[in-house]
Amino acid sequence: MSEIVEKTGLEPLNTHDDAEVAGVYVSDMASDVITGATAGSMLVTLQTHKNFIAAANLVDAGMVVFAHGKKPDDDVIQLADRVGLALFTTADDTWKFALKLADLGLR
Amino acid sequence: MSSCAHRWSLIDIRSGYLVVEGCHHCGARGTYFSTEIAPPVEEYQEGPHHWQYMVSSQAVSFNMRCDICGETVDLGDVEGLMLCTCENPDCEIGRMAHEMGRNTSIYVALCSDSTHETNPDCVSDQGIAALNEYFNQRLREGPKKILVLPCKMCGDVDCCPGIVIADSGLIEL
Repeated sequence: MSEIVEKTGLEPLNTHDDAEVAGVYVSDMASDVITGATAGSMLVTLQTHKNFIAAANLVDAGMVVFAHGKKPDDDVIQLADRVGLALFTTADDTWKFALKLADLGLR
Repeated sequence: MSSCAHRWSLIDIRSGYLVVEGCHHCGARGTYFSTEIAPPVEEYQEGPHHWQYMVSSQAVSFNMRCDICGETVDLGDVEGLMLCTCENPDCEIGRMAHEMGRNTSIYVALCSDSTHETNPDCVSDQGIAALNEYFNQRLREGPKKILVLPCKMCGDVDCCPGIVIADSGLIEL
C-alpha cells in the first residue's frame, strides 16, 4: 500500500497500517462491491456515502481511493476509522488513476 | 445437519430496488426487494399493517450455493444488511457490539417486517449461518471478524443506529 500511495501521490484521509494490496476494484455502487470486490483489494470510487464504507468493510477491502478529488464528510471518515479502513483521495479522475495503477503493474 | 465444511459462492445475483415502507398505524418498518423497472409505490394492507411507500434504493439480492456439496441456501427472507453502529447496552446486539470490540463488525440481516408480526421467524437460521460463513471465509488473515445476526435480536431495529447497504447517494456523484 505504501508504495502505491507514494508513487501515485495519494492523499491519506485517515491513519492506516501498511498492508499488501491484493487487487483493484472500480465501482460506485455498494451493492456491486459486496458481490464483486475481494478481500485486500483497493476500491476506487466516486462514492463518498457511508454505505460504501459499510460494503467495503463487509468484503474486507484493503483501502478505498476517492477519485476526482472527492472527500467524504467527517462522519464517514470516523466510520472508516472505527472499522479500520484506510481512506485516500486523488485529484485524478478514475481513468487516469487506473492508468497509473496499470503503469505500476497492478492488474 | 450437513458435515460439509461449506465453501459458499453467491448465485442468482439480481439487481433491483430495496423498497422501504412504513405502517402509519403502528410505526413499523417494512422492507422488500423488487426487480420491477421502477420501485412500486402502492399502499396496501397486510395483516395488522397498512404499508405506505417511504423510500427506495438500488440494491442486489442473491442466494448461496456450496461449491463442495452443492447445497443451496435461499436468502429470499434477507431484505438487506445493516452495519450496526449501536452500542446500547439495553439492546442485545448493541451489547454484543460493545463486548466484542472494534475487531468484530456486526451486520444485522433485515427481514421484511421490523415488528415481526407478519414474519415471526425473521431470517432463517440457515441463511444467517451461510452469511456468516461466506463473509468470514473471504476475510484476510487477522483479528477481523464479521458477525451477521437476525434483526429479531435487535431491541428496536427501527431506532437502532446503523448503515444499510444500498445504493443511496448516487445522484450526489
